[in-house]
Amino acid sequence: MKRNIQVLLLLFLGVGLLHIALLTDLYLRYVRAGLRPALIASGVLLLALGAVSAARDGFPFDRPRTGRDRGDGHGDAGHDQGHAGHGHGGRGPRVAWLLYVPALTILFIAPPALGSYTAARGDAEAPRAPEAAAGDSLFPPLPRTGVVPMSLNDFTGRAVWDTGGTLKGRTVRLTGFVTPGRHGGWYISRLVISCCAADAQVRKVRVHGATPQRADTWVTVTGTWHPTGKPGAGTASPALDVTAVRRVPEPVDPYNDVVAPRAGN
Amino acid sequence: MAEGDAPGNATGAVVRVTSHALVAALPVAALGVVAILFAPEISGGLDHRAVAAWRTVFTAIVIQGVPFLLLGTLVSAAISAFVPAWVFTRVLPRHPALAVPVAGAAGAVLPGCECASVPVAGSLMRRGVTPAAALAFLLSAPAINPVVLIATYVAFPGAPAMVLARLLASLLTSVAMGWLWLRAGRAEWLRLPKGPAGRAPGANRAEEFRLSLQHDFLHAGGFLVVGAAAAATFNVVVPHSALRLFSDSPWLSVLLTALLAVVLAVCSEADAFVAASLTGFSPTARLTFMVVGPMVDLKLIALQSGTFGRGFALRFSSATWVMAVVCSALMGWWLL
Repeated sequence: MKRNIQVLLLLFLGVGLLHIALLTDLYLRYVRAGLRPALIASGVLLLALGAVSAARDGFPFDRPRTGRDRGDGHGDAGHDQGHAGHGHGGRGPRVAWLLYVPALTILFIAPPALGSYTAARGDAEAPRAPEAAAGDSLFPPLPRTGVVPMSLNDFTGRAVWDTGGTLKGRTVRLTGFVTPGRHGGWYISRLVISCCAADAQVRKVRVHGATPQRADTWVTVTGTWHPTGKPGAGTASPALDVTAVRRVPEPVDPYNDVVAPRAGN
Repeated sequence: MAEGDAPGNATGAVVRVTSHALVAALPVAALGVVAILFAPEISGGLDHRAVAAWRTVFTAIVIQGVPFLLLGTLVSAAISAFVPAWVFTRVLPRHPALAVPVAGAAGAVLPGCECASVPVAGSLMRRGVTPAAALAFLLSAPAINPVVLIATYVAFPGAPAMVLARLLASLLTSVAMGWLWLRAGRAEWLRLPKGPAGRAPGANRAEEFRLSLQHDFLHAGGFLVVGAAAAATFNVVVPHSALRLFSDSPWLSVLLTALLAVVLAVCSEADAFVAASLTGFSPTARLTFMVVGPMVDLKLIALQSGTFGRGFALRFSSATWVMAVVCSALMGWWLL
């Protein structure tokens, strides 16, 4: 890889990282929010490296390197064709061409957040109950009146593990995207990540009593708990008898499963 | 066709040009026809949800790897440019067999995931550290640093034995692999990383630092892309639910989580959360996932084969895999 192409790559990658982490919130489609400072720092560093390289190596055209430029530490520049794709000194490694793919991808055609395709294939997992002391349920009671906005995390956890029945008789509101299920059924679902999209875990709640929606549409549903199986034994699966479905715009941070802001009932 | 007379020459030239143009145009035209005929399928294919999921996972693995890779190459470039070789000979015990455990324990000071440790280990070898010690460091650094151990503690609340088991099993594996390399390793398997090598007196250190950083980052970054593509493919193609079928047998489940760690290539700072989500698997199987993952996975194999050569990466990774499975089975049996 020629030096000017290397400079271009460093600049593209730096700008791309700043584009997704600083100028927009696109990075939330791929990694957790906590990685933002690291991404911005990497972007700035790559830009600085690219700028210094551009000044020293010549950009956009390669400046012919003199012996003084080359420094003493690069005696192997002359025989850099020793092993394939692994040149040193004057030319960079050939494998670095591949870095153009993610660099240009995040800059121009950022792929969407994971959605129903992943949710449909993954097993639904309900977060474990907090360690219960002597059979007490550690799920705090829900408010008795009105519609309770809940995260899918909280709802699936209670539906599967809560032996205290805190969900009984409550009307809850959940927000997530639509995942089609078998036999015309559908789920309201979320993907939760702990580091990046490669470790996404599925939270989904079966929806009863509402017409199926288009896959990957973001909706808010209101309804009451539909008990299945025996809670606490790991055999229950979360489900909801739904009375109202409303479309909502996709959130900026799709993997952040928190209670949706209040937007009318 | 008549040769020799002027009009004949001209005709010949025309025919030649035309035939060349035809030969060149045919593939283009064929591609064009294919593109026009199958345009909906092609654009549909790119929009297909599996392809979209692949692109997202691929981009995610690369993006989360880049900051750590950059950190690792910064450290390794600093080692090459600013740290004189005598520091390492002074710090590490003279005898290689003793240097291995010291280097393994020193892995605790590099806070990062596995992407960072490969370039650092490469530059350590470049600076004359015995390969066995550098390899022990390579294996232990991503597994036993404080960030990873705290993440493990958070992911397994109320089970500090899991953190201890992970620390001990990872350390044991890396030291055992270092000693194994001393006994059975051959120098010709290891293609010592060349890079911008040794510092001559009077060379411009800052310039050397920059060249080394740029070279190492671009080189390792290319291999990170290869590994991310492979891991994303497995991630999208193999549904996690298929794995539950094997979770009943304790031995099969240990081997299965060990394989899973290789193909999923989850960052070592996140793998504790993935392991915690593998409900239905025994604690030992989950421990195996967390011990194997930071030492052997697809993107790591790609990075290692770029830095140390393909022959080395395959031999070393398979031996490490077996060693990690054995060590975590032992630790799981003892502690969990």
